[in-house]
Amino acid sequence: MFENVKMPEGMNPEVLEHLMNPKNYGKLDDADGVGVALDEKTKEYVIFYTKLDSDIIENVKFATNGCQDTVVIGSMFTQMILGNDTNYANTAVQKMHDKLGKLSAQQQVCADIVFTAFLASLKNYEHKQNGEDEELHVLKMKESCQVEQTDEGKENE
Amino acid sequence: MNKTYQKKHELWLAILFASFAVNDEAIKSRLYDFSQIAFRHMKWLGEQILENGEDYNYDRDMVLLKRNSVFEIIEALRQDITNIQALYPKNILGERMKTDDAYLLEYLAQIMKDSANNQEVTAFNMQRKWGEKDLAQEQIDALTLFLFEESYKEYELILVYAYMQARTKDVLHFNVFQDLVDESQFHLKSFGNMMAKLGILALPRELHTMTYVVKDLNQFIKDGIAEEEAAKIMCKELSDAIKDEELAKFFDFINYQESYHIELMKKLL
Repeated sequence: MFENVKMPEGMNPEVLEHLMNPKNYGKLDDADGVGVALDEKTKEYVIFYTKLDSDIIENVKFATNGCQDTVVIGSMFTQMILGNDTNYANTAVQKMHDKLGKLSAQQQVCADIVFTAFLASLKNYEHKQNGEDEELHVLKMKESCQVEQTDEGKENE
Repeated sequence: MNKTYQKKHELWLAILFASFAVNDEAIKSRLYDFSQIAFRHMKWLGEQILENGEDYNYDRDMVLLKRNSVFEIIEALRQDITNIQALYPKNILGERMKTDDAYLLEYLAQIMKDSANNQEVTAFNMQRKWGEKDLAQEQIDALTLFLFEESYKEYELILVYAYMQARTKDVLHFNVFQDLVDESQFHLKSFGNMMAKLGILALPRELHTMTYVVKDLNQFIKDGIAEEEAAKIMCKELSDAIKDEELAKFFDFINYQESYHIELMKKLL
């Protein structure tokens, strides 16, 4: 899916379409997992809603106050994982990382925050399955926008 | 009442983006005026909702369809205006909104009577041409990205400041929020019309509650000042990148306006 995609520098019609009409954007009232990736320094966030039917990602939505690169990547990524299982989605994270490795450092940061929010939504689902009363799961980004490897419990809000 | 508020929010956007999409300057200008009236309706509705001890949000359920002609746009607007009438409250504000809408419907009917008004709409054609000017592809790309980024940001600022304005008891804050809303309205108008000219007109994406429910005003303002600084840099970079004198001057002008926003925002600290 990403073979022919160029990100905004050298914009192609597919990217333009994602900019004009981001896919799977918004809220999901009946989500099984809700995750937030937050960059505390810039206050940029991505919130990710995941609805699961067993292991299949039945529905997914995201929202962000971030830049357009984040929107385009979120739009593409949600399209990619919708209807697939969580194992595929986790592989998709890696696949997208591989593809997006060709992007600028700024765009890589945007990709990271989208993926982290998705992973946070799965974490929230897992916690709920374990009987925890967690409204949403928050993962804070480092300055470099990588997930903190500290105790997750401290990161929850 | 939140449903009425949501539909009013959508109608404000529908009229506003219709004004951006239409090329005829006279129709564009009238529609823009009506969009500002609709925005005031939205503000007054919000005040009434809060006075009644209820609350509202910025949820939306609308898409901006890619229309091909002025009459398609006008017809869709007429439908939206007709549909909202039953939702208006039965009070003085409800009456005011109905009479304003009736006048707008009459204006739209007049436009539809003259087939010469049914011009082609180019706002959604994705051509990304800046009129007769020969901008290089990388300049067009930079302009495109800037317009998507900043049209969302201005929409966000309008709604966030309006949300805070509706909830403050402080006169100074109220006035500063009003100035900031007015400034962002002008910027959104400028950027929306530019997007239409490039053929890439699109609605700004919906705001999530995490964006507009502000728990710490001071921190929000400090972050906002940092964002304004970033916007100034973007304007400057764009102004430098675009080798067109007229456009470069415009972005310099916006850049200087952002400087004063920072001064306005400091009054809130």
